Order: sequence, then structure tokens, then C-alpha cells
Amino acid sequence: MEWEILLENVLNALAAGITIGCIYGLMCVGLSLIFGIMRVVNFAQGDLLMLGAYAAFYLVAAWGVLAFLGPEVAPFAGAILAGPIVFAVGWLLHRWIVARVSGLRTVASLDEGHFGQLIVTLGIALILQNGGLILFGSMPRAVRTPLSSSAWMVETGIGDATIFLNKARVISGLAAILVVVALYWLLERTRLGKALRAAADNPTAATYMGIDVDRAHRIAFALGSGITAVAGGLVASYLSFTPFMGLDFVVIMYAGVVLGGMGSLLGAFWGGLTIGFVQQISALVLPPQLQNAAIFVVFLLIVVLRPQGLFGRSAERA
Amino acid sequence: MLDIEDFSVAYGGLRALSGVSLSVGEGQLVAIVGPNGAGKSTLFKAISGIVPPVSGSIRLDGRDLLSVPPARRPHLGIAHVPEGRQVFKTLTVRENIEMGAYTEAGRARFAQTLERIHELFPILYERAGQLAGTLSGGEQQMLAIARGLASAPRLLMLDEPSMGLAPAVADMIFERISQIHREDGLTILLVEQRVAEALELCDRGYVLETGRIVLDGPFQTLINDDRVRRAYLGLGD
Ligand SMILES: Nc1ncnc2c1ncn2[C@@H]1O[C@H](COP(=O)(O)OP(=O)(O)OP(=O)(O)O)[C@@H](O)[C@H]1O
Ligand SMILES: [Mg+2]
Repeated sequence: MEWEILLENVLNALAAGITIGCIYGLMCVGLSLIFGIMRVVNFAQGDLLMLGAYAAFYLVAAWGVLAFLGPEVAPFAGAILAGPIVFAVGWLLHRWIVARVSGLRTVASLDEGHFGQLIVTLGIALILQNGGLILFGSMPRAVRTPLSSSAWMVETGIGDATIFLNKARVISGLAAILVVVALYWLLERTRLGKALRAAADNPTAATYMGIDVDRAHRIAFALGSGITAVAGGLVASYLSFTPFMGLDFVVIMYAGVVLGGMGSLLGAFWGGLTIGFVQQISALVLPPQLQNAAIFVVFLLIVVLRPQGLFGRSAERA
Repeated sequence: MLDIEDFSVAYGGLRALSGVSLSVGEGQLVAIVGPNGAGKSTLFKAISGIVPPVSGSIRLDGRDLLSVPPARRPHLGIAHVPEGRQVFKTLTVRENIEMGAYTEAGRARFAQTLERIHELFPILYERAGQLAGTLSGGEQQMLAIARGLASAPRLLMLDEPSMGLAPAVADMIFERISQIHREDGLTILLVEQRVAEALELCDRGYVLETGRIVLDGPFQTLINDDRVRRAYLGLGD
């Protein structure tokens, strides 16, 4: 029956949208963390995601460091481990480069240092892309797992309609949620997290409390880099990629973060989830080349109708 | 405890402080008064390290403070309650107080200081879970002071705690400051526009005008000085 096939397609697109959306949500959270705490718009975020994908690739496929975990577990362990590796990269990038155009020295200046930050993060993006090309080569890579070609089947009970849940994506989505929950806990409950939020809220007053704001920013930049890198590692388990993958994903991340309301962490997650949804649903009716166009139409609609973001409260930051 | 000598600060080319010398003894309450733009807040910012000096020295218990990075200074026992309160608006009242206790000393004594804070400002206990940005001006001032106390400081610096408050609330704040000074024996450096109240509380006062100390001395000297009576207290002729 025709409508059953349609229903099945829609349900499967929804399921794919949720799982992919969770991964998008995770990468958006990394970007949002950096913006929310440092007020730095990081154009290199997509390339940090790319580093995460390659970190997982080398750990799992090329060097096989994690091979002992078996082909089912290793890709996800690789994605999680990409976090601390790119955390370290972010730490160094901040220490050597980003700190020079951000932090306490710029909060007092008129444009808050945004011009310098724009140029510097764009520069980092170019360096990472081309450095990636030299180091990793242009051949598309993938982190294969048998799970990416098998699915859990869920009978809907409506005729023969069945939802196929791609195992790799479901596990990736769950891992993404786990990382977001852990980060949320860190920010809300721990002394470090509260100090990061205080440094974001009022850098001068934070200094009066004895909080080293520049160090807080370094931690935020490194954490945001690591979080997005985990998302990159998870993407690598279902998609092949090159050193330029960041260009596609930075668009998704910005759309998601703006949708969710700039600076709101959970908002960023919902924003990313929404993008995943729109992308998968649009795949039902649009050719693949137009999927990004669909994202932007929805994006523009929401920005026009709700400029504070889908999930943002307009007065969240006074 | 705090000794400032021949201290100068400039913004760009403009001198905001020139040759200021000032000292605060252990257990004292020292007041600094002066008109708008005299450089009072600038002096506090220099003590906290967020504006750099041109020349001069600041010592805390004989130790050179200027070589200590700004974020380390609170850990040495300096609490700065800034002008305009500057509470963390997106954090709750309780989280603001916890951030006050970011110093080692503050953390070690958190339970006692929290109890004391709630005794001084019971409203902060009632509002513990509320975002600080939604507090009234008076409540924000209480929170700013509480946050300073939470660091278990040796020196509490208060920059115009009565600014923009209704008289009754300002009186209450003064009463609490006096209480903190008397009962807890805390050393306090106070900047105030409400000169009469400030001088009444203090052991020693300084009058700062356009970046210079023009007069200093114990409470009795200042309150009987003709210039002070005329310019700040609106008395005599
Ligand atoms: N960031 C700055 N850049 C340039 N000039 C400044 C800056 N901050 C303060 N000033 C100038 O330094 C002088 C002293 O300012 P300060 O804020 O210390 O005065 P104040 O005594 O605290 O005044 P008020 O009682 O109004 O708070 C003023 O002339 C002010 O314009
Ligand atoms: Mg002032």
C-alpha cells in the first residue's frame, strides 16, 4: 500500500534525523561553549571537527591502536579519545595564538577584539585545512565498523511499516548525548564550571574573585575544541571525509548555534538536533544537493520569526 | 597592613592618580572620600591590579603587591567589592557567594562565613536559588558585600556601597559594614560619597581630589576641618 511506504519513509527519516541530529547537537555545543564563555566567534571549529575525525581514523584504522577492542567498539572509543587529543590541540592553539587577540586584554576595547579574532580564527582554519592536506593527504578516509551496515528493526505495528535504526548512528547519538550531559554537569555543578560561567558573565569581577580569566578561556577553548572533535570522531563512523570536511560542518554548526540562541549550551544542542531533522526530512523530497539549501531556508525562517533563536530567551544575557 | 607609597596611575596620557600615599593598619576602617572623578575607583582597581601603575609601590604586609598577578591577589586576602556591585547576573545568589569563596581561605571557611552572611543578610538566604540579575539594587549590593566576605579576606575594599540606594537601605548597609568591622574585627577600606556616614564610621580618613590626597587624619581631625565641613558636609561657612 502506498501510504504505508510513505509512512515508513517518514518514520525512518525521523529516526535518522534524531540520531544524526544528536551528533550535530554535540558539535554545536562545542562551538557554543567557546562563544558563550570567550565571546569569540571561532571560524576554525569545523577544522577542529576534522582533526577529531582524523584522530579517530588514526587510532582505529591506520595505526590500529584500538584494534584490540574489536571492530564494533573501537570506532566509538576512538571518537571519545579524539576529545582529549584535540583538547590538547585547542589548549596549544589558545596559548600560542587565540590568547593574543582575546581574553582580559580585549574585553575593555571598543570592538571587544572581534576583528582580530575573526582574522585569527580564519587563519587557523586555513592552516588546519592545508596542514591536514599535507599530513593526512586528500584521499577520502573512513572509520569502518560492521555496525554502520546493520540495523535494529523496530516494528511499528502499522501494517508492515518498519523503522530501521542504523546501529552505528544510534550508538553515536547516545554517545553524543552522554558527552553533552557530562559537560552540562561540569558547568552547572562543579567549581571549575561555575568559575568558567563567572568568567563569562563578568571577567573583571571574576578577577576580583581570584579567578584567572585567561586560564578559564583556555580551558573553555580546549573543551569546546575537544567536544566538537568527539562529534567529528562520531561522524567518521558513518561518513567518509577529507581534510576539507570542516567547510560543510561549520555551516551546520553556525546554523545550529544561531537557531538555539547564541551562548545557550542546551539551545545549541537543540539547534543542532533541529538541523539534523530538517536535513533528513528534506532528503525525502529533495535531491541531496539541495539538502543544505533546505537547512538555510528553515534557518532564515527561524531567524526572521524568532531572532533570539528557537530556544533562546531574548533577555538571557543582559 | 596595606601601604601605598607615592603611587601614580595614568589613562593614556591623563593622570588619574598622582603621588598618592596611604596606609591601612590591621583592624582599622579607613575611609576615602572625594568628588566624582577624583580617582577613588582607580585606586581600588590599581590595588586589584586591573589598571597598571606609572610609579610608586603597594605593599601588603610588607610584600610587594604589584608583582603579584591580578587573579592571585584575592588569594592573598584582598576582597574588592566594586563600584556598581558587578554581581554575576547569570549565576544564582548561592553561586555568586560560592565564587566569592574561590580563594583557598574562603573555601576552607565556607560553612562559617555562609552562616555569618545569612545572619547579616537574611534575604540572601531566602533568595539563594534566584538569578542575581533579578535581585533589586539593594539586594545586589548585599550580595556583592557577601561575595567579598565569602573569600574570608584580610582586607575588605568597598567602593561606594551606598550608591543608588534608597536612604533606608543605605543606612542598613552602613550598619552592616560597621557590624562587620566591630564584631568580626575585619580591616576595611571604604570609598564613599556619603561623607558624613563614612567619616563617622572610620578610624582614619583620606580626602582625595583630582588624583591627590589633599587631607588625611583621624576622624576627629577631619570632621572638624573647615574645608571638609564646607565642601562635604554642608556645614559652617
Ligand atoms: N578606563 C578609563 N579610561 C580613561 N579614563 C578613565 C578610565 N577610568 C577612569 N578614568 C578617568 O579617571 C578619573 C578618575 O576616575 P575614577 O573612576 O577613579 O573616579 P572616582 O573617584 O571613582 O569617581 P566616582 O565618585 O564618580 O566613582 C576620571 O577623570 C575618569 O574619567
Ligand atoms: Mg568611583
